[in-house]
Amino acid sequence: MFPQRIKKGIVDSPKKLANLIDLVNLPSKVREFVGESRISRLGCFMKVWSYIKTNNLQDPSNKNMVNCDEKLKSILLGKPRVELAELPALIKLHFPKDPK
Amino acid sequence: MGKIPPSFRSAIATSLVPKPASVPKSDPFPPKKPHGSRKKSTPRSKTQSPQNPTPLPAVRSQKALFDSPSLSDAKALFGSLLASPKSPRLERDFYNSVLQSYSSVSTLQDSFSFLNHMVKTSPSFGPDHSTFHILLTKACSLPDSGDCEVSLAEVHKVLNFMVNNNVIPGKATADVAVRSLVSVDRLDCAVELMKDLSSKGCLPDTYTYNFVVKSLCKGRSVSTAHSFINQMRTEYGFKPDLVTYTILIDNVCNKRNLREATRLLGVLNEEGFKPDCFVYNTIMKGYCSLSRGSEVVEVYNKMKEEGVVPDSITYNTLIFGLSKSGRVKDAKKYLEVMVQEGHLPDAVTYTSLMNGMCREGDVRGALRLLGEMSEDNGCSPNACTYNTLLHGLGKARLLDEGMELYQVMKAGEMKLDTAAYATMVRSLCRSGRVAEAYEIFDYAVESVSLTDVAAYSTLESTLKWLKKAREQGLAA
Repeated sequence: MFPQRIKKGIVDSPKKLANLIDLVNLPSKVREFVGESRISRLGCFMKVWSYIKTNNLQDPSNKNMVNCDEKLKSILLGKPRVELAELPALIKLHFPKDPK
Repeated sequence: MGKIPPSFRSAIATSLVPKPASVPKSDPFPPKKPHGSRKKSTPRSKTQSPQNPTPLPAVRSQKALFDSPSLSDAKALFGSLLASPKSPRLERDFYNSVLQSYSSVSTLQDSFSFLNHMVKTSPSFGPDHSTFHILLTKACSLPDSGDCEVSLAEVHKVLNFMVNNNVIPGKATADVAVRSLVSVDRLDCAVELMKDLSSKGCLPDTYTYNFVVKSLCKGRSVSTAHSFINQMRTEYGFKPDLVTYTILIDNVCNKRNLREATRLLGVLNEEGFKPDCFVYNTIMKGYCSLSRGSEVVEVYNKMKEEGVVPDSITYNTLIFGLSKSGRVKDAKKYLEVMVQEGHLPDAVTYTSLMNGMCREGDVRGALRLLGEMSEDNGCSPNACTYNTLLHGLGKARLLDEGMELYQVMKAGEMKLDTAAYATMVRSLCRSGRVAEAYEIFDYAVESVSLTDVAAYSTLESTLKWLKKAREQGLAA
């Protein structure tokens, strides 16, 4: 019963899944950051998140905040500080919206 | 409280399902295990020796020698083996092992010729059942040609060859053939072969028969299994036994068809069988999957009435069923009974109980039970136990305890289950501890507890919901 549910979750929304893992041609700014011309939304999130971790960009006093460096700022609407909670939404902006 | 997106709700609804699955799973097997072990001991023991050629170290090293399917190479090699003074050439096991290793690299036809060659060159060697079973296994594991009659031709060739060599195919022969056929997914052929052998007066034994019934239940429709049983009964007078009924009942219980299970129980009584512990356990499991607590207890009482002694599986199922249907108090009572009766509660017992306690909101009680089980009873919790607790803690918003438990799990490299992961991520985000939610996400991805997609979708939809909730002033 349980695995069926999971399966259902993904099989039932192939569009949502495709939206997450399909490779997308990137706009130039993101292309520079990612270093590739095509990436999936999931892959992009992973890249940005691991970039934040490797460069210790999380605010030490409040881990929920990210202090952007120049490179990160360029793809996150130029904001100097972003909340971790906003991250998926900000990244989503670079990807085409799925037609409803 | 903000409205919870429907996607979350489904996760909550499923949350406790993995544990249920784990308990009944342990259940259907024990019923058959005792039968199963007997099953194997009789017909298999005759075939075991050729199948694992381990009797003599000298032989084992020779196994690798046959790397070419060429018959003449094999004959030459066999000649040199015979010439070598170390060969224990009078042992039948030795010849069988040689034949076994050759047939594993060559064709059936060449194996035939090789056997003939062995018989000719060493007159002391008299092939017996186990020798022919090697060829039989080989013939049965050939790829299916789609038509049973055609693909069984090779099998019949081996059987005829046996008869010509004055070795009469017996029950063990049938068992070897049927199991090899089923193991390569040729169940229909196996059924054909069984009917065929039965019509020639070589009735299968109950172990083979039950094995086929079980495979039919698993891989075909129930009606196929029933028609097989009927045909065997009407045409060859082969009656199903208690194990057969247990298999059938187990099958319908897994499909939650308790009415059919009850009917089968009636049939079983009519046939003059007395239900044993396994039958009761199976039925009890069926009621558990429907969360019918009172029926579960009823089955237990019936067992007692009928003088059937419950085993630890019975108690585990009982405790699981009661916890699942929200009767934790009764479940605890039966835990005591279980101990009194001399059965040691295991991780499954405790996990079921903790699951029930978490559902009732008594998470701290469940945590205490965790201490109790490992300290007092020396029963170590497993990943399922921890996941149950983590899920409960997340749900009860006991996040500090939750994070502590999570660290223990991480240190033990345990995988997170979907429910526990999702609950923790949601609770953490809701309390504004997004960074910790990210940490759990990282661990879930790193430990491959979930697929990246599943882990990320949960995180993303949670954060999306969080944004909305914040706009409405509902979350931190």
